[in-house]
Amino acid sequence: MGAGRRAFPAPNALLMKRFLTRGLRREMEGIIFAFPYLLVWGTFVLWPLGYGVYLSLFDWHPIRGSKFVGFANYIALFQDVRFLNALSNSFRFAVIVVPLVLIVAFLFALLLWGWKGNRRLSSFAQAVFFFPYLLTVSVIAITWRWFLDPDFGLVTIALKYLRIQAPTFLTDPFWALPAIALATAWWLSGYRMVVFQAALSDIPQELFEAAILDGARLNQLLFHIILPLLKPAILFSLVLTTISAFRTFGQVLMMTEGGPGRATEVLALYVYWNAFEYFRIGRAAAAGVVMLFFTLLLTLLGMKILGLKSELY
Amino acid sequence: MKKLISLLVGIMVGGWVVSFGQVIEIEFNTLFHEADAKAMEDIVNLFQSLHPEIKVKLVQGRWAQYYAELRLSVIAGNPPQLGICHVNRLVEMVDYLTPLDASPVGNLLELGGIDPALFPEATWRAGQMNGHQYLIPLDTHAWGLWYNKDIFVAAGLDPDKPPQTYDEFVAACEAIKKAGYYAFHPAEDALPRKLRRAWEIFYYQMGGELFDPNFTRATFNNEKGLKALEFLVNIFNAYGWNVVGGNGYAQFTAGKLGMLFAGNWFYPTVKRSGVNFGYAPVPNLFGTPYTWGASHQLCIPLQPAETPLEVYLAAMKLARFITENAYLWTMTGGHIAANSKALEDPRLLESDYWKESGHILNDMIQRGLVRFPINHPRGSELEKAIETYIELAVVGQISPAEALSKAEVECNKILQSG
Repeated sequence: MGAGRRAFPAPNALLMKRFLTRGLRREMEGIIFAFPYLLVWGTFVLWPLGYGVYLSLFDWHPIRGSKFVGFANYIALFQDVRFLNALSNSFRFAVIVVPLVLIVAFLFALLLWGWKGNRRLSSFAQAVFFFPYLLTVSVIAITWRWFLDPDFGLVTIALKYLRIQAPTFLTDPFWALPAIALATAWWLSGYRMVVFQAALSDIPQELFEAAILDGARLNQLLFHIILPLLKPAILFSLVLTTISAFRTFGQVLMMTEGGPGRATEVLALYVYWNAFEYFRIGRAAAAGVVMLFFTLLLTLLGMKILGLKSELY
Repeated sequence: MKKLISLLVGIMVGGWVVSFGQVIEIEFNTLFHEADAKAMEDIVNLFQSLHPEIKVKLVQGRWAQYYAELRLSVIAGNPPQLGICHVNRLVEMVDYLTPLDASPVGNLLELGGIDPALFPEATWRAGQMNGHQYLIPLDTHAWGLWYNKDIFVAAGLDPDKPPQTYDEFVAACEAIKKAGYYAFHPAEDALPRKLRRAWEIFYYQMGGELFDPNFTRATFNNEKGLKALEFLVNIFNAYGWNVVGGNGYAQFTAGKLGMLFAGNWFYPTVKRSGVNFGYAPVPNLFGTPYTWGASHQLCIPLQPAETPLEVYLAAMKLARFITENAYLWTMTGGHIAANSKALEDPRLLESDYWKESGHILNDMIQRGLVRFPINHPRGSELEKAIETYIELAVVGQISPAEALSKAEVECNKILQSG
């Protein structure tokens, strides 16, 4: 080729280059838009998670010198009766609180859906049901500690009026965990109620009309129309509530400090004592990893059982 | 004009640099909250007004996470310049603290003008480890007997003569119970660690010790330990003096409780409640009228290597000021100052707090009747092991004998695991 003349690439190569550039550009645009979130997520979630796993492999003492111990922390955990007790309590708590939250939230949502004709009533009820969700865990814990006080508690006094001998909820090993579950359900149901409410309003009215015309009863409407179509919302709430259940900490610390005995010592509290009271960071990190594993396991199990698809689509 | 502007800018910058160079900034982290936090804030503000060349950033919070935060701040190379340490926590915190008599910049006790003679010898020595002084005593705080004078009158008791022996105490409890009130609560709000403290009071009064001197084994599973625990359990059960789960604070401020073991920090709350209260030493129930208590002490966390002398001196200046003005600490925070000069301040001696309760608590301290928590690197774990089973015994889940047996096994396991 002579000087000053530009060589043009072959037509196929040019097409390829333009395609790649466009595709790559689209990818890059997506990454750039997601980058701020990825940066925050990486910094505040991924990095601490990874570092926590790293710490769990050490007998961590930065002043005297940390020692790599491999899986020794994990082995010690499963030989620790206290850890096994905390794990068991966390499962028990999840088994009580998850259905409780979902059922209460669903009932509230149904009630509001039934009242949707009366805007004032439904707005007021929605505010009342949702209000506890706005409170912090400290307020919830202090409030319920007072509600359940054997001398001055509202619940105790109400039961007394009904001529029922109230148990000493927070000092009875049988009642303490369910009592905390009740406080937690009161706190969390509001948000789940809103999720269910939105899902309920998405159900086409024609389905109900057709079913009623065919003579469907209330329980048939519930089990054959409402619940199947609410599956995605139920799944979402189930996942969220399971994670919350396993992460429960503030209510337990402030209502019972893990007592009576260790009847309410859950995994998160076990991690807390080991990390901040005994300063056994490696052991606490290992317990945290185990906590993550079981939370993930339960969540995946829930998703498997319920399935991922909505019946409508 | 240009020259004038340059001159003005130069003066401003120079002034900023000079003033910046003259102000030393230090951070003081405490574990105080509520009334004692307010008291410390007042003292620091007073210091600031008298020493504008030192800027103090005061950070206060709950004690539960405090020690972890202190450790982590040292590890991160960003520690406060002054902190607080309970005297029984020295053994686990020593790696994170500056030895005051052998700091990187010299003997801070001498440089800061701290006179050990102003503090009770035992309290001063408690801040020593491995031959070095790490702590400067701030106060001693302890449990005493708060009682409701109106309930005493209703029960036919003399409101100016609180019980001081076992027989007097039992008689008073029975009389108050007969009058329709809760007779006695031994443990503030009945949280597990408070129940353990109540048991420790009864056990120490009998002459018991929790562990052998070298902390090789637990020594509380014996006749005395059992008698102490049975007494505690019976308060809530067989004697009917209170109910399981009852909150002593709430009962007392509601005017439903005759007598309560609680710390000096209860003073502001009980004053606000309007209850006609009295304060007395913990009665001598079982031999020696010991009570549970602890001591806050000032410390300088381990500083980064390049920390200049001026920063250390500023921290020591603040520490000395706090101990010398600890009359304010006692008056409004309720803890009894360790500095003897502070205890002679007429403003303290004339205060309501001193007249109504402080002087009694001080007397208990001076007579050596305050037992501090155990001093062991795994002290928190050992205490938690004990209180777990104490609580189970109190709520009736297990017998007192079984509780002590299980607590002993767990404590020995902790001690043997190192």
